[in-house]
Amino acid sequence: MNSIFLPYKMGDLWEVKQKDPEAIILAGGTGLLVFLREKGLHPHTIVGLENLWELKQIEMQNGEIRIGAMVTHQQLLESPVIQAQLPGLHQAVTVLGYPPIRHMGTIGGNICTASPAGDTLPSLYVLNAVAELRTPTASRLLPIQDLIKGPGQNVLGRDEILYQIRIPVPSPSAVSFYFKVGQRKALAISVCSLASMLQVAEDEQTIVDCRFAWGSVGPTIMRFPGLEKNLIGEKLSLNKLREFGQTAASMVSPITDIRGSAEYRRMLVSNLPSKMLQTL
Amino acid sequence: MTGPLTPIGTSLKRTDGPSKIRGLEKYAADYYPANFLWADVKRSDHPHALIKGIDLSHVRGLPGVLAVLTHEDIKGANRIGVPEMDQPVLADQKVCYKGDPVVLVLAENKAVMQEALHKIEIDYEVLPAVFDPEDALAEGAPVLHENRSGKNLLIGGAIEHGNGMEAFQVCDAIVEAEFDLPYQEHAYLETEAGIACVDDEGVLEITASTQTPWRDRNELAYALGLPVDSIRVIAPYLGGGFGGKDGITVQGLLGLAALHSNGRPVKMWTSREESFLASTKRHPGRVHYRVGCKEDGTLHAVSCRIVLDTGAYASLGGPVLALAMEHAAGAYRIPHALVEGFCVYTNNPVSGAFRGFGAPQVLAGLEQIIDMLADKIRMDRLEFRLKNVVSRGDETGCGVWMSNSTGIIPCLEKVKEHPFWVQQEEWVNQAGPFKQRGVGIAAGLQGTGYGPMVADIANAKIELLSDGHFRIYSGVADMGQGNNPTNVQIAGEVLGQAADYFELLQPDTACSLPSGSSSASRTTYTFGNALKTAATILKERILTRACNMGLGIYAEDLLLSSGKVFHLTSGREIPLANIAASMSPEERISSYAYTAPVAKHPDSAGSAIRAAGFPHRVFAFACHLARVEIDALTGEVEVCDYLAVTDAGRVLNPQIYEQQVQGGAVQGMGYALWEDFRVENGEVLTRNLASYILPTSMDVPDILSLPVETVEETGPFGMKGLGEIVINLPLPAIANGVAWALGRHIFTSPLTAERILLTMEKRQAE
Amino acid sequence: MIIHFTLNGENKNLDCAPDCRVVDLLREELGHTGTKEACGSGECGACTILVDGISKLSCLMLAAQLEGHAVTTIEGMSKGEELHPIQKSFVEKGAVQCGFCSPGMVMATADLLQRNPSPDRKEIREALSGNLCRCTGYQKIIDAVESAAAEMRDDA
Ligand SMILES: Cc1cc2nc3c(=O)[nH]c(=O)nc-3n(C[C@H](O)[C@H](O)[C@H](O)COP(=O)(O)OP(=O)(O)OC[C@H]3O[C@@H](n4cnc5c(N)ncnc54)[C@H](O)[C@@H]3O)c2cc1C
Ligand code: FES
Ligand code: FES
Repeated sequence: MNSIFLPYKMGDLWEVKQKDPEAIILAGGTGLLVFLREKGLHPHTIVGLENLWELKQIEMQNGEIRIGAMVTHQQLLESPVIQAQLPGLHQAVTVLGYPPIRHMGTIGGNICTASPAGDTLPSLYVLNAVAELRTPTASRLLPIQDLIKGPGQNVLGRDEILYQIRIPVPSPSAVSFYFKVGQRKALAISVCSLASMLQVAEDEQTIVDCRFAWGSVGPTIMRFPGLEKNLIGEKLSLNKLREFGQTAASMVSPITDIRGSAEYRRMLVSNLPSKMLQTL
Repeated sequence: MTGPLTPIGTSLKRTDGPSKIRGLEKYAADYYPANFLWADVKRSDHPHALIKGIDLSHVRGLPGVLAVLTHEDIKGANRIGVPEMDQPVLADQKVCYKGDPVVLVLAENKAVMQEALHKIEIDYEVLPAVFDPEDALAEGAPVLHENRSGKNLLIGGAIEHGNGMEAFQVCDAIVEAEFDLPYQEHAYLETEAGIACVDDEGVLEITASTQTPWRDRNELAYALGLPVDSIRVIAPYLGGGFGGKDGITVQGLLGLAALHSNGRPVKMWTSREESFLASTKRHPGRVHYRVGCKEDGTLHAVSCRIVLDTGAYASLGGPVLALAMEHAAGAYRIPHALVEGFCVYTNNPVSGAFRGFGAPQVLAGLEQIIDMLADKIRMDRLEFRLKNVVSRGDETGCGVWMSNSTGIIPCLEKVKEHPFWVQQEEWVNQAGPFKQRGVGIAAGLQGTGYGPMVADIANAKIELLSDGHFRIYSGVADMGQGNNPTNVQIAGEVLGQAADYFELLQPDTACSLPSGSSSASRTTYTFGNALKTAATILKERILTRACNMGLGIYAEDLLLSSGKVFHLTSGREIPLANIAASMSPEERISSYAYTAPVAKHPDSAGSAIRAAGFPHRVFAFACHLARVEIDALTGEVEVCDYLAVTDAGRVLNPQIYEQQVQGGAVQGMGYALWEDFRVENGEVLTRNLASYILPTSMDVPDILSLPVETVEETGPFGMKGLGEIVINLPLPAIANGVAWALGRHIFTSPLTAERILLTMEKRQAE
Repeated sequence: MIIHFTLNGENKNLDCAPDCRVVDLLREELGHTGTKEACGSGECGACTILVDGISKLSCLMLAAQLEGHAVTTIEGMSKGEELHPIQKSFVEKGAVQCGFCSPGMVMATADLLQRNPSPDRKEIREALSGNLCRCTGYQKIIDAVESAAAEMRDDA
């Protein structure tokens, strides 16, 4: 590597990017530096975002929660807004990595890594999160599922960065949930994960709205809006959730890798919805 | 600070604590000598191939590359290993596993190193390879080491006792099963590391993370073609060992590098990935058991067939097999036995010593079979064991005579009266929704020391310094288990000194005396015995000298205490410094050689197995209990509570004792539940700590350790080896608990969540 | 490139390569070998240091990222011979065996106790869950953290 820049102003960031469009973005480094070491790569230029103050904010604006790309997992964990409004996302970061990883790693990095095992992603999918991307001259909004193309692939252009995430504040009566199965209880990459949001009617049983997103069982996070619709109007029960899980399991085609077989993952897809009853 | 005058039996604080916790203790990995060069190797990409040519033309001239070495640069036999010297320092004619070192590079920095390793071109002729030990035994299998008459069989043999197989005809109940045991990677935190240089006198000095400084020196002399006395090996505190540094890791390469570095020091420190690739593992194996008993619960016959995969080179495969066979009948009196064992070469990574040394593999199977047999005859699992375990004077099924302290019955009884056992049904029945519970136990034993393989010797040396302090010259490395602090405790007890009156010298072949390895549960037992006597001799000399100096008439009237000698009746005293001043330097040094006893009892094993260390004489015993809870939706197992009752003789230091029990139990839990080092067609799939799953602090419970203190009269202050017995039982205890929860045994370990959920699914389908 | 930071309270101005990792800077350039490396990829916690009081992994940081920050390593925890209460209780409670994980454990504990002066055993286990130890089985480490927390509360 020949140079590393850690600009304090967006303008300086763009300047580096303009001089060297191949300059690699460094957020918390917990993904990037592992990746570079593993592949033995030595990029020419690295530009870090850690000093860009405006990327490190969590704000409420127009009924949206806006999370800067450089907000660390620890910030999410400690944020009263996230705790109160987005408990599913909060749960996701409690099981992500371990303290130093959470102190360093960022939500932007987690999203841009585009790993199907990324712990914040399933929750962001069920929250209908929208990503704001910026170039030196423009910005655009993309639903999270359109930002992520496949394992390790996003649609960011060469001179584009992820700027922030916008999440519509969910209805106060919605219950959200995140469950991750790893190979051990901590310091674990998910073998299968599930985020869900559920709204039940006042009878506390009839499902009025629901969204489910599974991680680690496909090239990206998996959602089945068609299936979700079938649940609406139904009464919440173990049998319903089982049936729902089984149908979802028949629709995924997970891979076998070092962490788990396709068969095991499919069983988890089927079983995890039932987990909700353990926590509700 | 003055400690208690009789430190044995107290939790005297470890003397190595403060420097380690301040980050000041220098491990082998922490040395960066001035002007040093990095050394690293290019390893084989093929599991089995002939080396046709090595092209170094792109590397030799690279700026920053000081030397590029191949086997041609080695003057000696280029073979290391004990007892079998079959492993090249750098591969010569061929490579035998994916990871075999071929070319050694010395470079100024890591970036140049990476480039150089990348640019080395090796021309291979790929040979057919064999990865399954049973296949490797078959006629026509590719042969790894052509010079061996036994082809791929490193060592094999049988132990026959009583009528062997015929005895099954009169059994009322028989259970049979085959167990698949995985590799286990030591995963010590300090990967293999060291530095080396040739000093002005031409002595090759190596400081390395090693459990075997003395053996290393001999092996290096042979491999590199140097006289033994021109090699010095220093073993600082290790950042973990567990058997993985029982023998040469980087030392051969380091030595070779230092001989070609133009006098500059060289450093090697393997990356975690390289460590996983090239270090030894616990032998994976297949263990087939058949065990029969009488209606009344008397065990009658056992047959066991053990096949261990030692990989490309022997390492300690022979002794591991011998120990596996010796422990195959557990701690049970079984009149008829046939145990067959095979340790086999394959083109897989090398397996070798690992805490437990073959015993964990067999006890994993046996202790599950014992549960199944108890169920079959509807007998309580613990009573069944109590009825059949050995007492002192008995023989185990393998014909191993329990001539020394034997505390397995009190171990079982302690478990029997513990609430975890008494309330097992209630606890299991209290499982919440989607949870299934079980309680499992396992019992077993572990030999202390080498057995009749090589002399089990330690040479202790202790010196009274001129200032009245003492210096202990340790001959055995401390990999973290705390034998060095225990040495202080032992010498402190004999000499009546508080801990701060001692200096401790780490093993250094230039100033301590030759001793065996830090392994085989022998470190404190053997070296401690030697040190105790050496200290006693020195004490007598000191007291006699004090009499000479007019302190009293009889040595019995004198008392040695911290820094001085007292006359009991008059209260007069002489500082030790004064006594030291009156002694010659030779008088102030005392040394003693201790050789551990071996069993002379005639036995039923073949000579090969006996030569590999069968049988032992002193054994530690234990019974473990695990309470487990399974998540029925995910298959995840939680070990909720864990009880380990151990007979390792007298407890010299309760805190260090607990350290061994807790650490060993958790390493055993790793073996039971998560650690699955995977190798496919000779290729390591679990390449680093992200995919090889070690237990974290969240995955394990507190361990309740209860000692059963028998007195082992051959051990220093009544102790016997503790380090290994603890790792033998977590797998079977947990597996038995899981089997209760699931209603069926799983014979393949580790018992990952995946394996458990798939088993539950299958059971539901039936 | 020249970087400025403080190491255990001391000002440092150093010239280092842009791709130099913090762990290498500490160990190789500055001789602070108390910070260990056991994986190089974030999976073990042995290289944990404090940056502005917050635990970070020195194997996943580049030296340039230290610019303007305050670094604490294990060597900065004790005042000379006098151990920090966390270090003291690690020694007292037998939490140190081979000791290779210990510096990282101590730094992770320091971070925890700043955030939560009275953690229960479960919280301690969570906070140390990325610090692998192969020797102790963790129990005595948890004991030590519990006792250090009590000690530090009493002192406060
Ligand atoms: C030990 C360990 C444990 C882990 N555990 C987990 C876990 O449990 N769950 C989990 O989901 N992940 C885990 N991770 C992965 C990783 O820590 C997370 O994905 C983290 O969120 C990455 O964020 P970062 O800020 O460190 O990203 P970086 O590593 O800095 O960047 C990752 C990638 O995203 C790009 N990038 C980052 N930010 C931007 C941006 N704003 N605009 C454009 N491109 C950008 C970078 O160029 C790079 O390619 C773990 C990693 C380690 C080392
Ligand atoms: S060395 Fe940094 S986490 Fe392992
Ligand atoms: S004490 Fe050895 S790794 Fe923790």
